[in-house]
Amino acid sequence: MPSSIDILNVIESKLGGKVQIQKAHLSTGTIIANNGLHRDVLQAMIDADEKTAITAITGIDLGANLGVYYHFRTSNAFVTIKTELPKESPNIKTIIDLHPGAAFHELEAADLIGLNFEGHPLSRHFVLSENWPKGVYPLRKDVNPSEVKLCPPDPQETVNTPEGGKLVKIIIGPQHPALLEPEKFVVTVEGEIVTNVEPRIGYVHRGIEKAAESRTYLQDVYLVERICGICNSCHACAFVETVEKIMKVDIPPRAKYIRVITLELNRLHSHLLTLGHAGLEIGYETLFQYFWRDREPIMDLIELTSGNRVNSSMMTVGGVRRDIKESDIPTIKTTLETLRGKLPFYKKMYRDEATLRLRMKDVGVLKREDALKLAIVGPTARGSGIDIDVRKDDPYEAYGEIPFKEIIYDSCDTWARMNVRMDEIEESINIVQYALDHLPSGPIKIDLPRSVPEGEAVNRVEAPRGELFYYVRSNGTDMPYRVKVRTPTFANIPAFLATAIGENIADIPSNFVSLDPCFSCTDR
Amino acid sequence: MIHFNSGACNGCDIEIVALLTPKYDVERFGVKLEPSPRHADVLLVTGPVTNQCAERLKRIYDQMPAPKFVVAIGACACSGGVFDGCCNVVGGVDKIIPVTAYIPGCPPRPESILDGVVKLLNALNPPKPKKQKHVEAAKPEAPKLETAPATVTEDNLVAQ
Repeated sequence: MPSSIDILNVIESKLGGKVQIQKAHLSTGTIIANNGLHRDVLQAMIDADEKTAITAITGIDLGANLGVYYHFRTSNAFVTIKTELPKESPNIKTIIDLHPGAAFHELEAADLIGLNFEGHPLSRHFVLSENWPKGVYPLRKDVNPSEVKLCPPDPQETVNTPEGGKLVKIIIGPQHPALLEPEKFVVTVEGEIVTNVEPRIGYVHRGIEKAAESRTYLQDVYLVERICGICNSCHACAFVETVEKIMKVDIPPRAKYIRVITLELNRLHSHLLTLGHAGLEIGYETLFQYFWRDREPIMDLIELTSGNRVNSSMMTVGGVRRDIKESDIPTIKTTLETLRGKLPFYKKMYRDEATLRLRMKDVGVLKREDALKLAIVGPTARGSGIDIDVRKDDPYEAYGEIPFKEIIYDSCDTWARMNVRMDEIEESINIVQYALDHLPSGPIKIDLPRSVPEGEAVNRVEAPRGELFYYVRSNGTDMPYRVKVRTPTFANIPAFLATAIGENIADIPSNFVSLDPCFSCTDR
Repeated sequence: MIHFNSGACNGCDIEIVALLTPKYDVERFGVKLEPSPRHADVLLVTGPVTNQCAERLKRIYDQMPAPKFVVAIGACACSGGVFDGCCNVVGGVDKIIPVTAYIPGCPPRPESILDGVVKLLNALNPPKPKKQKHVEAAKPEAPKLETAPATVTEDNLVAQ
């Protein structure tokens, strides 16, 4: 049984003495592995547990040194491998040969904090803009955002059509009818078949991680909420939970339930949005209109509970800001039951409708072993038969007390990924109904000091798109020293490349939307 | 009209898409979302302008045929909003291209976007007396509304 593996014991027996193991420092454990030993630790973890996958790489400016923290999840644990490098020569061996899923994480860390991953095939701006000056890394402490002098912008982006004439490069984005958000994908095609996709993110990069360091914890709650307008509650919740972990406080049970209700309403509107958007992308506009019509009552519920349709601002450090009124509960329940009544129609449509099946069945196949290797998260991974759901694996808030099913499909295609979301809508309705029925009484918030004691914490939340990761380090003041956010879409970019390559160019939109991409999250 | 996200969090963008759906149905006012800037008269911009998007935003504006109008949607597009001063953010949309109407809010409700669009359309309707007309949608919690006076006159219509 893989779930009975004690990963820290495995590492201790293989590398004991060479690396320093701290049990239960960050989540399950922290391993301090300097001088290139991080690769050995990772190899030991991959050998012991096939579900070892990277969650994030946090680069942190520690003064004279740069810290590189690799965060890995396994089937039953969450392990951080810490390494320190001198600032003058921040060279570290890449891990992408052991774990290909780390490729974009390394590219991002290289761009933002100036780490040099030896052996990484790519070296280009990935998140920062093209006119960003060379050698300036925004997440280093000596860089002041207002003093950065930009280089003159490139006159024109060029497209190099490869020699030979058989291959054609097509640029999708930054402004494109199929993209709601500006990102660029350079797609190489041979005839109708896609042979390569080069993603270029960063069009929505606002520098939120850096900005969070110069604002107070309370201001940061509203800042991180605006990382993404769709899964805003998840960001706020993940951040406040991380801060609460550093402060070592437990919030009142009623606040936990209200947080769960807010998060699930968020998931409901996000999944309805995606299922409708999928209709739009495959040219089935009626479906889009239907789903968005039925999404509006959920937006009204979010407004009813929080006072705003989109950014609900319910979360705060120590609890929630608004209570759910006793008189509102019947409205919430009836609205959700009305939605439940409409689900069989949609389910039948997604399962049996010929148009949808033709466009989605056996399209964009992402095999289970590939999804594991590429560290895919959320409904995309669950559509490939991987049982990964933070709500089950590492329950937070009240999820440990609420019964619900983890939806897994194993046909690994676009159809499976959309059906995972379809079924999760019903589970979310069940969760909200259960939480309303079992809503504990008591306070909704505890008052906490504005300054946070010195410390660090990691936290994970299951956002609608998958595992959302936060790392916060405090230096004892009222502003965080470092905030690291790894969003689910960032982890799922490799899935887009894997599903698009080898398929028809006409299937790009449906593959793309089946990952439910959110680039404002990805770029931060 | 055409929509461009110059660095938004998706909040305003989704509200714009919600405008097209049955509950709000902006098409009944003769407003249609176009896929190409070359077919559009009105550019809806959401989000603060990031360094990477600034050049692209200008290029999209240049591709639009005159007369053309820009509507800044949301607090970020109006002034930079919560992201003002972030290391990769230039600021509000009016730092890059001229803006005709500002619709504040975080995000503005679909109704207030609708209201802004209709006010813009009314302001363009001939015949018009030659006086300045303010186009703004009322919305609470609007940051720096007073710094964003928007004007549409026949003069600048002709100039465009």
